[in-house]
Amino acid sequence: MDTVVDAPVKTFIQVTEIWVPEGDRLVLATGNYGALAAFEEATRAVSFGKGEGLPGKAWAEERPVVLKGFDGSYFKRIEAAAEARLTSAVALPIFDGKTLKAVLVVLCGDDENRTGAIEVWEEKDGLMMLDDGYYGAAKHFEWVSQHTHFPRGQGLPGGVWSSDTPMLFRDLGSGYRFIRADSAGKAGLTTGLGMPVPVPSGATFVLTLLSARGTPIARRFEMWDARPVKVGKEKAAILVDGICEREGPLWTDDTQQEPRRVGAHMGNIGKVLASGLPEIFTGSPKLTEGYDSMVAVPIYDDGAIAHIVAWYV
Amino acid sequence: MQKLVVIGAGMATGRMLEHLRDNAPEAYEITLFNAEPRGNYNRIMLSPVLSGEKSFEEIVTHDEAWYAGNEITCRFGEKVLSVDTQRKVVTGEKGEVAYDKLVFGTGSSAFIIPLPGHDLPGVVAFRDLEDTTAMVEAAGKPGSKAVVIGGGLLGLEAAAALRLRGMDVTVLHIATHLMERQLDPAAGYLLKKDLEKRGINVILEAQTKEIVGDGRAQQVNLGDGTELPCDIVVMAVGIRPAVKLAQDAGIPCGRAIKVDAQMRTETPDVYAVGECVEYAGNLFGLVAPLYDQAKVLAKTLLGEDETFTMRELSTKLKVTGCDLFSAGDFAEAPGREDVVYRDPARGIYKRLVIEDDKLIGAVMYGDTADGNWFFGLIKDGTDISEMRETLIFGPAYQGGGSADPLSAVAALPPDAEICGCNGVCKGDIVAAIEGGATDLGAVRAVTKASASCGTCTGLVEQVLSVTLGDDFVLPTAQPVCGCTDLTHEDVRRLIKVQELKSQDAVWQELGWKTRNGCHVCRPAINYYLLADWPLDYQDDAQSRFVNERNHANIQKDGTYSVMPRMYGGMTTPEELIAIAEAAKKYNAVVKVTGGQRIDLLGIRKEDLPAIWHDMNAAGMVSGHAYTKGLRTVKTCVGSDWCRFGTQDSTGLGIKLEKRLWGSWTPHKFKLAVSGCPRNCAEATCKDLGVVCVDSGYQIGVGGAAGMDLKETERLHDAKTEEEVLDWTVAFLQLYRENAKYLDRPYKWLAKVGLDWVKDVLADETERKALIERFDISQSVYQVDPWAERARPGEAEKFQPLADLTVRAAE
Ligand SMILES: Cc1cc2nc3c(=O)[nH]c(=O)nc-3n(C[C@H](O)[C@H](O)[C@H](O)COP(=O)(O)OP(=O)(O)OC[C@H]3O[C@@H](n4cnc5c(N)ncnc54)[C@H](O)[C@@H]3O)c2cc1C
Ligand code: HEM
Ligand code: SF4
Repeated sequence: MDTVVDAPVKTFIQVTEIWVPEGDRLVLATGNYGALAAFEEATRAVSFGKGEGLPGKAWAEERPVVLKGFDGSYFKRIEAAAEARLTSAVALPIFDGKTLKAVLVVLCGDDENRTGAIEVWEEKDGLMMLDDGYYGAAKHFEWVSQHTHFPRGQGLPGGVWSSDTPMLFRDLGSGYRFIRADSAGKAGLTTGLGMPVPVPSGATFVLTLLSARGTPIARRFEMWDARPVKVGKEKAAILVDGICEREGPLWTDDTQQEPRRVGAHMGNIGKVLASGLPEIFTGSPKLTEGYDSMVAVPIYDDGAIAHIVAWYV
Repeated sequence: MQKLVVIGAGMATGRMLEHLRDNAPEAYEITLFNAEPRGNYNRIMLSPVLSGEKSFEEIVTHDEAWYAGNEITCRFGEKVLSVDTQRKVVTGEKGEVAYDKLVFGTGSSAFIIPLPGHDLPGVVAFRDLEDTTAMVEAAGKPGSKAVVIGGGLLGLEAAAALRLRGMDVTVLHIATHLMERQLDPAAGYLLKKDLEKRGINVILEAQTKEIVGDGRAQQVNLGDGTELPCDIVVMAVGIRPAVKLAQDAGIPCGRAIKVDAQMRTETPDVYAVGECVEYAGNLFGLVAPLYDQAKVLAKTLLGEDETFTMRELSTKLKVTGCDLFSAGDFAEAPGREDVVYRDPARGIYKRLVIEDDKLIGAVMYGDTADGNWFFGLIKDGTDISEMRETLIFGPAYQGGGSADPLSAVAALPPDAEICGCNGVCKGDIVAAIEGGATDLGAVRAVTKASASCGTCTGLVEQVLSVTLGDDFVLPTAQPVCGCTDLTHEDVRRLIKVQELKSQDAVWQELGWKTRNGCHVCRPAINYYLLADWPLDYQDDAQSRFVNERNHANIQKDGTYSVMPRMYGGMTTPEELIAIAEAAKKYNAVVKVTGGQRIDLLGIRKEDLPAIWHDMNAAGMVSGHAYTKGLRTVKTCVGSDWCRFGTQDSTGLGIKLEKRLWGSWTPHKFKLAVSGCPRNCAEATCKDLGVVCVDSGYQIGVGGAAGMDLKETERLHDAKTEEEVLDWTVAFLQLYRENAKYLDRPYKWLAKVGLDWVKDVLADETERKALIERFDISQSVYQVDPWAERARPGEAEKFQPLADLTVRAAE
């Protein structure tokens, strides 16, 4: 594997952090703050009770939350965020049935040059409607998305909803629900990752990450299937889909080659399988396929990890 | 060069060309025609391309660079119009090309039901990229509708993909359940439910009457009066082998082009492969058997023997989130028994069909984890009577659950010590791996972990596995032999740690599976015991190879060789006279060997004790030319005689040999001493070689000059002869105590690392201790085997030792 890290790119997400419940509070487990040391320091000093701040809200409301513009909001680290020029955030609670395992928070800065989208879709009256989303500079796409809905089985949100698995779409600019695709193409969006967000209430949420070439949300995506009905009784995961800027397609056609498979504790995905928690890996490009960092998130179903999605920047 | 023309750049010919170019790149000059305006791609992945879950670029299997690199003349976008097998030419749309050998790989075309309106624009099949693009375009119109005719594999993959693209989709299927050829009704029911959950409308037992529209397909009408407005109609009702071209050329066809098990058609020099062939009455529609055919054809074209055989097939559906698997035969029939498992809450259905204690069919929906295992049982015709009761629960149930072998290592904190000998902790090893040390050898080189006693090798490998995931493959340890699961390294370690001092102790305490070992493990165990416990263990001649048992090298013709020791390659007139007399007396052939000795060849077995006696009488002992032990010390003439000589190489060689002879080692051990770097004694390819220099002595180790050729690496620079002797003895003893039986020093060094050896020997107490242990061993083993067995005169015959099995039986 070549581990030469390419020239740094401007990434869409600037901060990724994982909060885990400890007693009745959420404490920071890991975070990737890049160069934003002051914000990191401010963060290390806080913890959140249920309903407090953004992570606490995701926990209390048991749903993914998008927050745009921190001023005057319930966001707790307003000053530090303002200094770091962070303006928006998305919190993703990870539930195993009724138990909260962790809250993943991503923070983005407002920048006219950063394009991408992080969206939360929610089922209402048999249709997937946009709950909220953060789009950076993709304003037209934002408007179109607000006025689009997806029936079962249609498009990324509808596909994830009806198949109950994460999905990775290529070529967002072609096909895939006409107007939105057209606008996605114009906004330069290329790859879309959609994942189900199971919550205790049984409501249906889908989170999508739409990545653009210039300011990628990720430069490598992986989707691992860990359901016992697919991998058997032993804790394991197989790589079912993925795409990488450098290595190209990561899937295998099983008439030609068996997919990659890892067991618990084997490497980064093995660590998630074993811990059951989302993880951020930074600092050793050798261990993150040559990229600076990797985020791996488990998705639960039926009392066990069903899938793991991972993205690398 | 012969000319090979291939018609069709599909999945079968693509694979065939790969085999051909891999095995004999120069065999043919190749021209490849393809009606599609592109080379080969993975056709089966068109479904996810249609859905947007893959891009076309991702599924290209042979790109321009591949064809160019393999010097294949591509005529893509050019259909072959005719073939003349008399003149041996192929005519394409742009002209003719001659062939010596011709391959048909024309695949299939989609079958279009000749309904009224079937030829309207907007009616498409699902076979190639053009079809796919047409469907994607149709999906681009808001609110567009698709009707898919055919509820088989292809139709359903198209339906699910078009739904993802945002269309309203209706599937029309003529049978009573979906995919009736691969699924039973119960699984078909679950599949239908699953597709309906995706918003796809499924109509079973549909009688499609006609397709109507004004200039293009706009509506499908069914026999029961149902009207289905649409923007596109996808026909996916089956395929027909594309054989018209072959038929027109007079190549014998049944339902497809007839081939034999070598993929030859009945027309000379014409071959066929893929979906366009018929073999023993069978047609093909899945890729697995086509890959087999491709391999067979490549061999046939290279004049090699290979035979195609039919194999069982399994089916999966490539719709994300739909898990189904089917294989074998599951039609109802007398004598067949079903095992069914259902979990309604989770939408799981599994059915196994058993006949004559064999699994013959398996259908699974919702839980396909064990699909490949069941498929294996079907293919191999395994007798399942023993596991019948639990069969449906899969392999995990049969073998009992497996623990998680890595959890203990994963849980260790970074400061946990992994390698006790060198004090290396987990964090150091992880850091080394992050720094690029991605295998055991590299970790050992960087951290020294597992470079000493090696006990922690397994742990280090587990740390590699935990850190690297599937990029590191845990090696499976090689046991000594079938008598045990332990490796040589394990056995050596346990003999020391548990103080096992006899073979019986080893067999018992280490749980040997045989009564007293076998011809593979016994020599090794015998050596380990005598090396570790020289005073306690009694060497067992019966555990030795025949040469060592008879103390002579058995030669090609069954006679033996006798080679007296000549310390440092020095001899005397008296010795030479004795040797010459013996040679005459026993009719020997005399050879000067590569190790500076004189070998007497052609000695009859019964003469051995007598000739040994004669040699002993002249003051000579065995040269041990037959042992896994110390062989010879080769020397040059050195400073006494040579003008270049810096030290007394001969004298040193004699001292070394006198000290070392008689010792047993894991494999043979050869030495040499050269008097200067001109190196006339070739000391730099020996197990241990000394090169004298002005300032002293350079000791090199780990050389080899056999099948492997290796130069020695520097162990130490010594100032005095005394130091050379110390280091040599200590090195030899370390090798004796640690190496795996039959590893020459260079192999052993490759495993433990020269650095570790240097570190150990540099420690003076350690060195002294090694020397002491060596001397103890020599007190027992530096004995001349000849003296023990020599008998004067010819009268007394040498009684061959009983063979191992007879002895063991006593
Ligand atoms: C959408 C789809 C999904 C599938 N899914 C699966 C699956 O999951 N599993 C599975 O096992 N199989 C699957 N299949 C079937 C599999 O793709 C075929 O078995 C396989 O492609 C056949 O290979 P082939 O080389 O015989 O023919 P093809 O791959 O069809 O290649 C034949 C080539 O010959 C060319 N040709 C034909 N006539 C001429 C002529 N006169 N002159 C020049 N060129 C000509 C054609 O243009 C074509 O490119 C699927 C097929 C499709 C279409
Ligand atoms: C039954 C088979 C063999 C017999 C009987 C045999 C016998 C001998 C003898 C008698 C010598 C002289 C040793 C000495 O002077 O001390 C010798 C030297 C040698 N043998 Fe063999 N040998 C055998 C197999 C091999 C094999 C398989 C190899 C190579 C892998 C090999 C490589 C050598 C070399 C390189 C020497 C020269 C040693 C030196 O100069 O120090 N021999 N052999
Ligand atoms: S190695 Fe040097 S000293 Fe020995 S014989 Fe050759 S030239 Fe002379």
